Amino acid sequence: MRRLVEHALRAVFPSSAGIPGLDRLDFGARLDEVRRGPPMLRLGLYAATVLFVLLPVWTVFTPLPSFWLSPARLELHANRLAGSRIYLLRQIMLLLKTVGGLLWGADPEVRQALGLSPLGPDPGTFRGDQSRAPAGASAGAS
Amino acid sequence: MASAARDWRQHGHIAFQAGDAVALEADYVVVGSGPGGSGAALILARAGFDVCVVEAGPWRDPADYPSSMLGAMRDMMPDWGATVAVGDSIMPIVQAAVVGGGTVINSAIMVRTPADVLVDWRERHGLGDLFDERAMGDQHDAVDRELAVQRTPEGTAFGANNAMLIEALQRRQLDGNAILRNVQGCQGSGACLQGCRSGAKQSTNLAWLPEVIDRGGTVISCARVDRVIIERGAALGIRGRFRHPRSRALGATVDVRARRGVVIAASAVQTPLILQRSGLRLPALGRHWRVHPGAAIVGVYDQPVDMMRGATQGAASVHFRGGIGLRDGKTYAETGENGIKIESLSLPLELLAGRAAGAGHALIERLADARHQAVWISAVRAEAEGTCRLGLFGQPNVRYKPTQRDLRALRAGSHLLAALHFESGARVVRPGVFGLPAEITPDQLHLLADGPLDNRSWTWVLSHLFGGAVMGKDPQRSVVAPDLHVRGVRRLHVACAAALPTSLGVNPQHTILAVARILAERLANGA
Ligand SMILES: Cc1cc2nc3c(=O)[nH]c(=O)nc-3n(C[C@H](O)[C@H](O)[C@H](O)COP(=O)(O)OP(=O)(O)OC[C@H]3O[C@@H](n4cnc5c(N)ncnc54)[C@H](O)[C@@H]3O)c2cc1C
Ligand code: SF4
Repeated sequence: MRRLVEHALRAVFPSSAGIPGLDRLDFGARLDEVRRGPPMLRLGLYAATVLFVLLPVWTVFTPLPSFWLSPARLELHANRLAGSRIYLLRQIMLLLKTVGGLLWGADPEVRQALGLSPLGPDPGTFRGDQSRAPAGASAGAS
Repeated sequence: MASAARDWRQHGHIAFQAGDAVALEADYVVVGSGPGGSGAALILARAGFDVCVVEAGPWRDPADYPSSMLGAMRDMMPDWGATVAVGDSIMPIVQAAVVGGGTVINSAIMVRTPADVLVDWRERHGLGDLFDERAMGDQHDAVDRELAVQRTPEGTAFGANNAMLIEALQRRQLDGNAILRNVQGCQGSGACLQGCRSGAKQSTNLAWLPEVIDRGGTVISCARVDRVIIERGAALGIRGRFRHPRSRALGATVDVRARRGVVIAASAVQTPLILQRSGLRLPALGRHWRVHPGAAIVGVYDQPVDMMRGATQGAASVHFRGGIGLRDGKTYAETGENGIKIESLSLPLELLAGRAAGAGHALIERLADARHQAVWISAVRAEAEGTCRLGLFGQPNVRYKPTQRDLRALRAGSHLLAALHFESGARVVRPGVFGLPAEITPDQLHLLADGPLDNRSWTWVLSHLFGGAVMGKDPQRSVVAPDLHVRGVRRLHVACAAALPTSLGVNPQHTILAVARILAERLANGA
């Protein structure tokens, strides 16, 4: 499933006009982070991916999974889903765009290409966390 | 008290515990530590009571805050921000789950409760003079002093996105101002949503909860309250359970006995659910749930705007709070229609992607000019009411559908913002509305004026939430009686946005803080 998700996200965020896309970036670690997220998010992402892979028959009238489409048809497929009259399909693309955007927009190479400063760390620490340097107090105490 | 907890409590803070049950006793238990919970806890602690705040999220300090939006969703929001309201469309609900609640991730905008709201609460909701202008004004004054509420000075920290909106409003002689914010020394990092890593924002985890601890109180973090223990019509305490913020592993159970009372302040989404899980069956519980749904309009300029620099939200207008109309391509203030509030908003690149139209190369093209984009939003004082109930698996089941009048207000507001962008020199505007072109030019503005009145065509976001356990005189319509007790349960109170009987048409945190402090003062005075 992970490979299918990667495929869908790469199709939505391809390299374009000198700006690196998810096809050129290593986003595995951040994607794994998302996959470790709450079950509802994971399920939604998987469902969106499965539909993305299966629907070329409906969007571009090609009875193939999306990973066998030519780049041009894949682009058309992704855009037809994004602009579909069917609200649920648009929502599916919104989910893929949102997750992809979190990975793509945080990437230092992308930010450099767009002239934006790189992001700082995401320590994920909190008071009482054993992995956090305790500032003077024993771990867990405030 | 169990042994592990005894050690932790010496420091005034108990974080995740895997082992023994943690059992404490306090005068008051406060559930949730957003503006409502922190405001109530502070006043009770100052009055000399032993207060225990129980918060589902972890306690993060500025050095712990994330920089990316993925980090913000993971570390600061319940279920990574996956809560939604469902009607005929799906609308994301943005909230915090961290010590300090919404004050940690919000834009620090402080707006006093409008006088008409207080009159409405008195006259239509029967709250007497509990929250009259003087009582609320006194609290607003005190909060302004304590949280260093001030205007972000214009200059580099203010940011072009904010300055451009003010200029655009003034050009039309619409009132528009630099926003009052509870921020001291804003550096204009445009990152309020991720928490302020420089510590400039006076969120309650920094400004107030340390004082609660200094006064002998306790904060229990990473502990989700399951229910209030109610016996013979009185609230005796709470029961909850630790959950590890990273692994999500369940930990020890948490029992806190309340000698004097329990104050629920877990937000307009979670407070009704806690009351439902506690066995309350009041007709108004989970009802009268309201929001200010908002949508963004993006202007694209020839010159860089660099909205990622500057105060996240620095400019606003309440000119159309009383109502907005749109006729023959012109917007005008109109009473009798639903109102809007206009604000600037610095959207991080990561979130712009979800907002831009299309996919593939077309999408990347619309993100490539991120530095040239300015984002302005309109938030509707919507009339629609929804419900918030326990879902099948214990999750919030929020049903909400804006009305046609709400949609008309949003459309009028969006049209106005697009016009303001063009008058400010935008090359194109990206309305983000399904059924309209991805980009419109000035001669296509009429398309937005005639835009679809269908929820599913708009990308709404819900971050100002109200109701679900509202105060009022009418037992059929309210959960909290005018004596500020939850109906039918002694010693049980609500001190968050859930208790507000109406929406406000302005940003809520100042009102929530003031209401919570008034409630706490009454409790301290023996009410
Ligand atoms: C991104 C964003 C920007 C905003 N900007 C502004 C702004 O600039 N100005 C403004 O006025 N308003 C703003 N708001 C709205 C404002 O932050 C909220 O209205 C306000 O925080 C609500 O306060 P509250 O006390 O009702 O709940 P919250 O702030 O949501 O706090 C509730 C707390 O209770 C905890 N909790 C929930 N369930 C449980 C449980 N079962 N057990 C224990 N704890 C629990 C939660 O983890 C949370 O910390 C913004 C909101 C968002 C999301
Ligand atoms: S804009 Fe940046 S520095 Fe200013 S309050 Fe927000 S996070 Fe802090």
